[in-house]
Amino acid sequence: MSNQTTINLEINGQAHTLAVEPRVTLLDALRDHLELTGTKKGCDQGQCGACTVHVDGERVLSCLTLAVQVEGRAVTTIEGLSDPGAELHPVQSAFLEHDAFQCGYCTPGQIMSAVSCIREGHAGSDDEIREYMSGNLCRCGAYPHIVEAVREAAKVMS
Amino acid sequence: MTIVDTKMKRGDASDGLLGGRLARIDGPAKITGAADYAMEHSPEGMVYAVIVDSTIASGRVVAIDTSAAEAYPGVLVVLTPDNALPIKTATDWTGAPPPAVPYEPLAREITFAGQHIAAVIAETFEQATAAAALVKVTYEETAPISSFDDPRSGEGYPIDMMTKEWGDADAALAIAPVRIEQEYKTPREYNVPIEPHGLIAHWEGDMLTLWEPSQWIDGMSRTYAEWFSIPFENVRMLSPYIGGGFGSKALPTRYGAVAAIAAKMLDRPVKLAITRPQTFTAFGGRPATRQTIALGATREGKLLSIVHRSANETSMDDVAIEPLGSVTSIMYAVPNFSSRQNIVPVNTVKPGALRAPGENPSAFGIECAIDELAYEVGIDPLDIRLLNYAEEDPHAKKPWSTRRLREAYAAGAEAFGWAKRSPSVRSMREGKQLIGYGVAAGTYPVRRTPGEAMVRILSNGTIEVASSGIDMGQGTYTILAQTAAEAIGVPVETVVVKLGDSSLPRAPVAGGSQLANLMTGAVHVAALAARDELIGLAINDPNSPFRDLQANTLTIEGGQMSSPRDAGSSVAIAEVMRRTGRNSIEALRNTLPENLRNKDDHFRNFTTISTMLSPTEGDYSMHSWCVHFVEVRVDVDFGTVRVSRMVSALDSGRLYNPKLAESQWKGGIIMGIGQALLEEGLVDQRNGHVMNNNLGDYLVPTNADIPHLEVISVGIPDTNASILGGKAVGELAIVGVAPAIANAVYHATGIRVRDLPITLEKLI
Ligand code: FES
Ligand code: FES
Repeated sequence: MSNQTTINLEINGQAHTLAVEPRVTLLDALRDHLELTGTKKGCDQGQCGACTVHVDGERVLSCLTLAVQVEGRAVTTIEGLSDPGAELHPVQSAFLEHDAFQCGYCTPGQIMSAVSCIREGHAGSDDEIREYMSGNLCRCGAYPHIVEAVREAAKVMS
Repeated sequence: MTIVDTKMKRGDASDGLLGGRLARIDGPAKITGAADYAMEHSPEGMVYAVIVDSTIASGRVVAIDTSAAEAYPGVLVVLTPDNALPIKTATDWTGAPPPAVPYEPLAREITFAGQHIAAVIAETFEQATAAAALVKVTYEETAPISSFDDPRSGEGYPIDMMTKEWGDADAALAIAPVRIEQEYKTPREYNVPIEPHGLIAHWEGDMLTLWEPSQWIDGMSRTYAEWFSIPFENVRMLSPYIGGGFGSKALPTRYGAVAAIAAKMLDRPVKLAITRPQTFTAFGGRPATRQTIALGATREGKLLSIVHRSANETSMDDVAIEPLGSVTSIMYAVPNFSSRQNIVPVNTVKPGALRAPGENPSAFGIECAIDELAYEVGIDPLDIRLLNYAEEDPHAKKPWSTRRLREAYAAGAEAFGWAKRSPSVRSMREGKQLIGYGVAAGTYPVRRTPGEAMVRILSNGTIEVASSGIDMGQGTYTILAQTAAEAIGVPVETVVVKLGDSSLPRAPVAGGSQLANLMTGAVHVAALAARDELIGLAINDPNSPFRDLQANTLTIEGGQMSSPRDAGSSVAIAEVMRRTGRNSIEALRNTLPENLRNKDDHFRNFTTISTMLSPTEGDYSMHSWCVHFVEVRVDVDFGTVRVSRMVSALDSGRLYNPKLAESQWKGGIIMGIGQALLEEGLVDQRNGHVMNNNLGDYLVPTNADIPHLEVISVGIPDTNASILGGKAVGELAIVGVAPAIANAVYHATGIRVRDLPITLEKLI
């Protein structure tokens, strides 16, 4: 079981060629093989949302996705949401402004989910935001501030 | 140098100085993915360890067949008790000297399900995980005692130091006109930080580097040093960001020892991340508790006696105490009181600390009981609290340093609209929803350990603050920058804070809600010393622009030094440093009392808890206080409970940064909502397994479970409690939430749930 396969990934607009075993998850490929550690592992079993990334613009759990599954598809991680040194994405700025995190470990996943939540048109009311952000657990309990941040970012993005 | 007494410019709330609502300075790193948590390092040659746990809860390991695992591709070694490098037992966190026996992190004798018995180390994570499944273990199993609900667990044994008594509680209870007695229970609860535990251990000769999330760098480093018989200075622990801990990342663990042993044996860096299910058994959460509370009172509701008997689960071979009488003994004025506690050994991992250990379940008992008494005598639950208000500490018989609980009741009731409550149960309703109002108070003590900090003024005018203290989301980076900025008189943007590294000045445990107060105190003292030296330099150095000035007229504001005599002539700190040819000014200061400044006591202060002062040491009794007002809506048909509105008023003394303190309070309140309605470790009584050992089955609150939360600060600076006037923040707000919700559910439904969590089957 150490048959490696070569895969070509497009992450944050950059092409990467990687030799990994087919059983390597997208999450572990990002964190252990590509040094893109902004995407977090909170449970490795699809229950916490910390590993949320965008694949072809949709939010997915990278711990439940094999790296080989995303060949030929565009993957965006927290590192690709805004360019280093450039202006922050409106969701990122809103998270900072509203203190929508404490330890910060759930935060990249929350932000990736929030961007999707807004794009999907699910940020219409506080209750709707709560519902569509409930796949991302935050044990520090930043929820009320996450709701505020998503509400404000949605205004900026529309 | 000249001792100078210069005027200090105090900031106001808007400018990033202490008390300002500055956004987290570690925020940009966290929202861009740049923050490097412990497990996000890849030293050259790193390999992966996966732990194999016992599947039985009681018995012993007869044999471990590692052959299939060893033959698996990529596997480097399979560790068992037979081949693991022997290490020594270390001093424990209280400072008790260790017994002269080896420490065996991999067990042969099994006392709980999930105990580590072997570890597989392989070139990749996937190989180690697959090979771990091939380790075959033969056990000799004995029948476990799975929880203290098993009658075979018995009553346990008493912990005498938990006994608190005054007056004659039994006699007073016997003749009290009103008597109520009930049992209150809380289940096993788990910390569940979203960053799972683990570490990377890397040996270079006899130097050990550890990337490990830690609430106590110095305490844990000491343990690693003693395990491997190397000097403390040879351990470098790095933990600049921690993905939550809530009490669970303060002490060294068995898997930590396993990773360090493996790294030494293989001479390669080893990464060991425990799985999410293992976070339920690799260390303990809050133990299950039960309390019987008997209240004796007058017909008007004035307390005459409290008799409190309690117990918590502990492990078979160790002592874990959840102090269940901690709030019972101080919340109300009562002339007769008796509280005693047992612990009951069962086949569990040793329970650990989870947000407000002791105060949290203690408040659940007394704050439900007082509510029951209010209904019994027919007065408002808020009024009964005021009627029995403790004007001084009824146990220590000392005045409170500050207790703004009365103000909290008033502010909270007003903001919540408590006056609109209809007195009788089941009397407020909207369609299919029963509405209930509940109130409960909470408290958390002010714990105090001396601190230490280095403050440097660099030649470019940058201020550097350094400490091995940590920030797991409490806001340490930010408030220490604010503290230094205010003390020296510079813009907060010019302050750089370095934390979470054992090579920096020492810090005690980030636990007991003590770190913010002791670290702001230490940084304040060190920053003033650095400032004094800078001013001394400015007036004494022949090349200084201020050399002719009188000492006590110099001010520093916005990073500019100036003399009021010559208002136009302000000079930047960097310019003063340049002209006087200084590269840096350094001040390393601690707040240890004179008698603890020798080398041994200094070390002991930061690596054990033996110098931590109790909240009643000195002339005052020092605590934070809070009250929660809750509205619940209970579905008539389905018994589902939703918290629809909450107002909390809190006294944490002075807030160094209200924006961040409010976040911590809300986080505690949210964890309290989870405790009240969702969280429960379910133990299989047949085999001692925690059945719901994952985030899909052990339910923590989601965003949709949480309403808008209003928090109101009613605190005032308390300089008896800390140098800069703050009291406990982090653990306070969870205390009292669960009883407030239980009380609201009773008001809504007329059903009194005394065992958490309040799930729907208890209401229909
Ligand atoms: S790590 Fe993927 S959902 Fe938790
Ligand atoms: S910020 Fe810590 S888990 Fe969300």
